Amino acid sequence: MKKKNLALLSMLGVAATLSAQNNEKGTLTGSLESNNIYYVEDNKLSGSTTANPDDHFGSNSYLKLDYMKGKFSAGLQLEAFLPALQGYDYALYGGGKRTMLGAKYVQWEDEDFGFRAGDIYEQFGTGLIFRSYEDRALGFNNSLEGVHGRFSYKNYLTVKAMYGRPRLYLDYAESSVRGGNLNVSLSDITGWSSAVLNLEGSYVNRYENLMDTPDFMDRLSTNSLDMYSVGANWNWNGIDARMEYVTKSKDLTVATAKEMVSGKAIFAELGYSGSGFSALASYRKLSNMNTMLTLKGQGSGNVLNYIPALTRQYTYMLANLNPYQVSPDGENGGQGDIYYTYRPSSNRSNYWKMHANVSMYYSDSKHTGESRLLWRDVNFDVEHRWNKSLKTIALVSVQEWSPTHGTNDVTYASNIFVLDNTYKFNRKTSLRVELQYLYSTDYEKDWMAGLVELSFAPKWSVSVSDMYNHGKTKIHYYNASVSYSANRTRIQLGYGRNRAGYVCSGGVCRYTPAYTGANLTVTSSF
Amino acid sequence: MKKILFILVCAFLSVNLYSQTMPNVQVEDMTGKQVNTASLVGDKPVILSFWGITCKPCLIELNALNECMEEWKEEVDFDIIAVSIDDARFVSRARSMAKGHDWQFTCLFDKNQDLKRALNVSFTPHTFILDSKGKVVYSHTGYVPGSEEELFEKLKELK
Repeated sequence: MKKKNLALLSMLGVAATLSAQNNEKGTLTGSLESNNIYYVEDNKLSGSTTANPDDHFGSNSYLKLDYMKGKFSAGLQLEAFLPALQGYDYALYGGGKRTMLGAKYVQWEDEDFGFRAGDIYEQFGTGLIFRSYEDRALGFNNSLEGVHGRFSYKNYLTVKAMYGRPRLYLDYAESSVRGGNLNVSLSDITGWSSAVLNLEGSYVNRYENLMDTPDFMDRLSTNSLDMYSVGANWNWNGIDARMEYVTKSKDLTVATAKEMVSGKAIFAELGYSGSGFSALASYRKLSNMNTMLTLKGQGSGNVLNYIPALTRQYTYMLANLNPYQVSPDGENGGQGDIYYTYRPSSNRSNYWKMHANVSMYYSDSKHTGESRLLWRDVNFDVEHRWNKSLKTIALVSVQEWSPTHGTNDVTYASNIFVLDNTYKFNRKTSLRVELQYLYSTDYEKDWMAGLVELSFAPKWSVSVSDMYNHGKTKIHYYNASVSYSANRTRIQLGYGRNRAGYVCSGGVCRYTPAYTGANLTVTSSF
Repeated sequence: MKKILFILVCAFLSVNLYSQTMPNVQVEDMTGKQVNTASLVGDKPVILSFWGITCKPCLIELNALNECMEEWKEEVDFDIIAVSIDDARFVSRARSMAKGHDWQFTCLFDKNQDLKRALNVSFTPHTFILDSKGKVVYSHTGYVPGSEEELFEKLKELK
C-alpha cells in the first residue's frame, strides 16, 4: 500500500513540475474518474437479480496521464477495481480486487505518418469488422496491445496497419489480431472540390491456436478468422450517402457453438441536410456477425467488432425501460429520422424544434423459423421555447418488441408519454420538471415517473426522482442526487433504488442487477 | 484503498494548473473531410465543447450557445467549435442533429475519440476555452441552465 501511495505521489510531483515548466519540457495532462457504490440491504428487492455483495462496496477508478511534446506523446492509465461495481463484466470475469496498468503508449504523430506502440484504439469503416475502444459506462475495453502505423500521401490516400493482442477484461486474450485499412479520396485525386468521395477497404485477421485442443478439435477447422470490408461515402450539396459490405470467413460465433459459420453484413445510409432541416435513413442486415476476441472468452466484453443497436436512445427513464438488444446472428431493418427547426423571424428565440424517428427490425428466418418483428419504435418529440424563462419538450414513443428475440409471435407494446419543462427564475437559477407515463397491457403493465431538478449555475444541481410500477410490482425506484462542479472537477453524490435492466451507451448495452445504495462519482482533469 | 483514493482526489484538486494546449489529431468536418485540430486555433479565442447525441445536457448547452452567440459577438470576438464524440455508426445522426438544430458554429466529428482522449475528456458535456494562442485557459464539465454565463465572463477577461 505504502509503496503504491508513494509511487502515485511521486508521479503527481513529476506532473506538477512538468506542468509548471510547460512548453520547453512538454505538457502533462491527466484525468481522474472514480465511481463508488455502497450497497445496502433492501427487503423490497429480492431474487437473483439483486446485487448486495458481502462487503457492500464497489469501486471503479481510472487515472490517466498523458505527456505531450510537439509530435511526440506518451501516456498511461491506471485502473483500480476494488472490487469492480456489480453488473460490470469486470466483476464477473476479472476476479476480486485489482489495481492494474490498464493502458500505456508512446506515439509519434506527423502530418503524413504516425506510429504508436502500446495500447491501440482504432476502428475500420463503421466498425463492423473491427473496433477497439474503451467505454467506462459499460465497463468495456478491448484495446489492442501492439503496434500501429499510419501513412498518408497528400489528401489522396491513407494506409493503416496494426498488430497486437486484444485486452479481455483485466487481462489479455491469447489470440492475436492483425489488420490493414486503405482509404482513398477520389474527390481529392480528381480535383472535385465541391464534393467528398471516399473509398475504403479493410482486412482483419484473428489467429488463435486452438485446433488441436480437446475442446475445439471436432468443431474448429482453422485457427484463422478473416474479415473483409469495402465501403464508400459521398457528400455533395447536403446529400450524404455511405455504404459498407462485409464478409467474414467461417467462425464459431459464440463459445458454445457446435459448428463454424460464415457471416456477412450490409450497411447503407442516405441523408440530406439543409439549414434547419435534415433527414436520415439507414438500413442494416446482419448474418452471423458476432465475433469474439478469443474463442475461450465469455461475456459482453469478449467482442472484436462493433454492432450497436441502431435505434433511438432516450434520456428519459421510462422510454429507456426496455431498450432494443441487437441480434448479431440475424437481423434486418433500419431507421429514419427527420429534424426540423422553425424560428419565426419576428422573434427568433421562440423556436420550435421537431424530431420524428421510426426504427424497425426483423429476425432472420434461418434462425427463428420465420422472419418476425424484433423491435419497432415510432416516436415524435417537439421542443418549444415560450419565452426567455420557459421551455417545454413533449415526447410520444410507441414501442413494440419481442421478449423472445423472435422465437415466437408474442410481442409486448409500450406507449410512453413525456412532458419536460424547464423554468429559469433568473440567469443562474432554474427548475426542470419531468413527468412520464408508460401505458402497457403487457409485462409489468403501467408505470409512472417524475423528476425535479433544481440548478444553481454553474456549480450546484440537486435532483429527486421516482419511477413507480403501479401496474404490477408496486415498487418505487427512487433516487436523490446532488452534484457540484467547479472548473475541471465534478462530484456527484446520490442515493437510490435501481431497477434491474440494461444500461446502454453508444448503442451497446450491459445488464445491471437491481440494487439500493449510495453512489459517489468524482471526475477531474488537469 | 480508500486512503489512496482520498490522496488522489486531494492531490488532483490541488494540482490545478492549466497546461493544456490543443493537441494535433485528425477529426472530420461536416462533409467528412479530415481536419488537423491544430489548424483550428491560434486566431481568436475558441469555445470548444464536447457532446454526444445521447447527452441531453450537451444539447441544451449547445442550443443555449447557439442562442447567445450573436449577442456575445457584439462584445467579444470568438469562435465556437462543437466536437461530437459519437462513433462511426452514429456520426451521420450527429451531423443530422447539428444541421437540424440549425447550429451556426463549426461542428467537428471525433469518430475514434482521439481528441477526446488527448484532451482527457471523460464526461460530457466538457467545455474548454482556448485563448488566441491555442492554450486552454478554462474548462468545465457538466451543464446546468445558466452555466454559459461563466463562459461569457471568461471570454470578456481574454479581451
